Amino acid sequence: MAEFVWATAQYDSGDWDSAPMVAPNLIDSVARYTSIDVAPTGVIVPLGSRDLFKYPLVFLTGHLPVRFTEVERRTLREFCRRGGMLFVDDHNHDIDGEFHRTAWEEIAAAVGPLTDLRNDHELYRAFFTFPDGPPTTSHELNGWGDNLVHKQLQAVEQDGRISVLYSSKDYSSEWNYHPDNKRFLSLDNTRFGVNVVVYALTR
Amino acid sequence: MTPLLRVQRARSRLLAVLATRAVIGAALATVTALLIALALDALVGLSAPARRLLAVFPWMVGLSVLALLGARAYAAAQRATDESVALWFERRIPSLRYALVTRLSTESDGVARLALDRAIAEAPLEQQVAVAARASLTTPMLALLSALVLLALMPAGAVGRAIAPTPGDALDRPGAAATALRDPLGTIVVRVQPPAYSGLAAESYDDPATVRALAGSRVVVEGLGRDVQLLRDGPPLPAQPVGDRWQLALAVPPRAEALRLSGGGRERVLVIEPIADSVPNVRLNRPARDTVMRVPTGRLVLGASVEDDLGLAEGSFELIISSGDGELYEFRTLRLGLKRFASGNREGSLEGSVMLDSLKLQPGDLIHLRAVATDRNDVTGPGRGASETRTLRVARADEYDSVSVEPAPPSEPEKDALSQRMILQLTRELVARSRRIGTPATTRESRIIAVDQTKLRQRVGQAVFQRLGENEGEHSHFPGDGHAHGQEGPVNPDDILAAAERAANADAARNLDNHGEETPIVAINRPLLEAYNHMWRAATELETGAPNAAIPWMERAIAALQRARAAERIYLRGRPPSVVVDLARVRLAGKNEGDPTVRSARPNADPLRAERLARFDAALSLVTSDAASAADSLLLLRVTLPEAERTAILALDAAATALRQGGDVTLVLANARRALVAQPPRRAPLLGWGH
Repeated sequence: MAEFVWATAQYDSGDWDSAPMVAPNLIDSVARYTSIDVAPTGVIVPLGSRDLFKYPLVFLTGHLPVRFTEVERRTLREFCRRGGMLFVDDHNHDIDGEFHRTAWEEIAAAVGPLTDLRNDHELYRAFFTFPDGPPTTSHELNGWGDNLVHKQLQAVEQDGRISVLYSSKDYSSEWNYHPDNKRFLSLDNTRFGVNVVVYALTR
Repeated sequence: MTPLLRVQRARSRLLAVLATRAVIGAALATVTALLIALALDALVGLSAPARRLLAVFPWMVGLSVLALLGARAYAAAQRATDESVALWFERRIPSLRYALVTRLSTESDGVARLALDRAIAEAPLEQQVAVAARASLTTPMLALLSALVLLALMPAGAVGRAIAPTPGDALDRPGAAATALRDPLGTIVVRVQPPAYSGLAAESYDDPATVRALAGSRVVVEGLGRDVQLLRDGPPLPAQPVGDRWQLALAVPPRAEALRLSGGGRERVLVIEPIADSVPNVRLNRPARDTVMRVPTGRLVLGASVEDDLGLAEGSFELIISSGDGELYEFRTLRLGLKRFASGNREGSLEGSVMLDSLKLQPGDLIHLRAVATDRNDVTGPGRGASETRTLRVARADEYDSVSVEPAPPSEPEKDALSQRMILQLTRELVARSRRIGTPATTRESRIIAVDQTKLRQRVGQAVFQRLGENEGEHSHFPGDGHAHGQEGPVNPDDILAAAERAANADAARNLDNHGEETPIVAINRPLLEAYNHMWRAATELETGAPNAAIPWMERAIAALQRARAAERIYLRGRPPSVVVDLARVRLAGKNEGDPTVRSARPNADPLRAERLARFDAALSLVTSDAASAADSLLLLRVTLPEAERTAILALDAAATALRQGGDVTLVLANARRALVAQPPRRAPLLGWGH
């Protein structure tokens, strides 16, 4: 069985590497909670590269405007059509900031329009159970003092499965710490990431 | 009036009668041929292509008859002398007793002439001509009138179907109304009226299985007879009676939909598929590439070309300026160079400029620049197209030695140098005519091309030199960056290129990029170096008067330039820190427990695909017993296919159409099944697993 490799998308326009510790943290969590054979380090994969097709799940984040090139758009469309899943997280935790606005435009152009994902979707039961939908982040509650809680994630679904998962909850900040520091948490805040991985591998 | 004058006039009239008879005969032949075509159409229902071929048949027959009778009339006119006309009269008026012939052949004077003239004067020459004309023309005229009456009795539109066949005249077929009493869905016509903004003309389709229409169009389905309805969710929609026809008017659905029509105790499926109005295609020409600037000053020239399938509305440039760092960013969005296009304009250009000083950019600021354009779609749009985005960045002082920094805004494309493609084209033309112009001329022209080739090579060398040869201030080195470490003193392009080439060929493991590829600097410069070398070889061959040998090198240089062009994008930021997780230490050591269930992998064979094939095979079993139902089944299957399976969609359309038209459908059905099978099965990425 091929091992699962956490892939971070590298795209032309923005700060695609703004959350470098998310990869090791999620790799740690996948190993910590599941028997999934996982690679110890993540990879960075250009969004316009055919290498994208090697990975079932690709993580994309950033603060800056997202503008895909035509090659990136075409590759992403093909990636989703072939059964891949793109997990996009807005590192700004905005409602309609530039990352949010431009990422929505580009995803709509490449794959399809994003729509709200029901909070009882099977994604929230794929491994850990999240009865209220996506877990909130400290940045939503008090991180920047905005108390802005995004009640739902958004998704593009194709053939009954999520092909693009979009979050404005800033999991990029929430999970961007060294995995060794997990021992200080009473409840691991990366558990939802495990659900995303398990969902991407099994649906 | 003298006898001679009377004979000559009679001759003219008789010739006119012959000409008239020829024309009437031709008209009669034309109308008769038309009636034959109509009868054929009524009996077998000719297809539109067959009718288009047959439409010239009546005219061909008419012209042939006219030519034949005209030739005969002409020959008669040639033979008709005054004497022969006089004899014609003598045969029909015995009382003349050859007075007319004698008078015309005799020049005598006196009593005999007077007697002849008197006898001729009493003869009814003109009446005889009139009688002969009536006898000659009456029958053809009556036949022509009968044929015209018969034509006038044909159903409205039937003649038009035969004379000038047009799409949508299937319902005008003679006898179609009688058939429609039994089967009002036997023949249908679909008329499509595109939305006004498109400026497209209305179109009609005879008996279609599938109709593709621009989104926002109005579709009218029409047929002969009564009591037709559209079956759908909820109550059926009855068709409106219009004269002896029924009509159903509806808008084009947002996605391909199978309309189920019911009437005369049977159903028929018609697929309506929307054609999306394409968004404008926008190409940003200036600036030509991403740039990192040291000082944000000067004038940035913007240029873009736009085109649309139906019509452009407006276009402009969009600049998003991002300022900040880390977690704090501010954004400004500007629109420049707004241009409104005239109605119906499908192509255009956008021009503009911006003074970088006015943007008050700070080190680290980013400009995301693109051109956007909208079309005139006021039904489902407006469609908004955008060009690729160019990223312009103001470098920070600590980045000067790690990214390619340009001292000024991107320059306009160089116009005085020939492109490699043009040089290749010139060389190919020279090779093509070298045999004709001889060796000395070929060598002379080859050397002229070599000058341009050398100029371009030097230009490429300068580009690489600018990137790799910067040698001011303190800067750090890293493996694979192309710098000649330890080298001091004056540098020339060849030395630097040699050093860069060594670096480019260095062990890939030494590169910084953790994806097993080269550093951005080497990645950009390696293909340029290759192009440089190929250009050098090409120029050498040209210098020696061997343009033919230069062509392969030029083709390689173009390929290398294309690769360099693909590497022109700048990936922002550098390499993130790499953390290796100790999997053995953390494996299943989590404090929280999930609730996993053992999952099985997706089946290897795509169940959806298997279901489609089963439906196709079921439709296939109906072909011999009920072809119309088989066609409907294929159309219902067709609307379930996603747009990505366009080949299968088109193959099913063709199969359904062929089934409706009858005849041998083996090939189209085989193609349709092949297209369905051709979709690769989706396979599970992982085997089953569990906690």
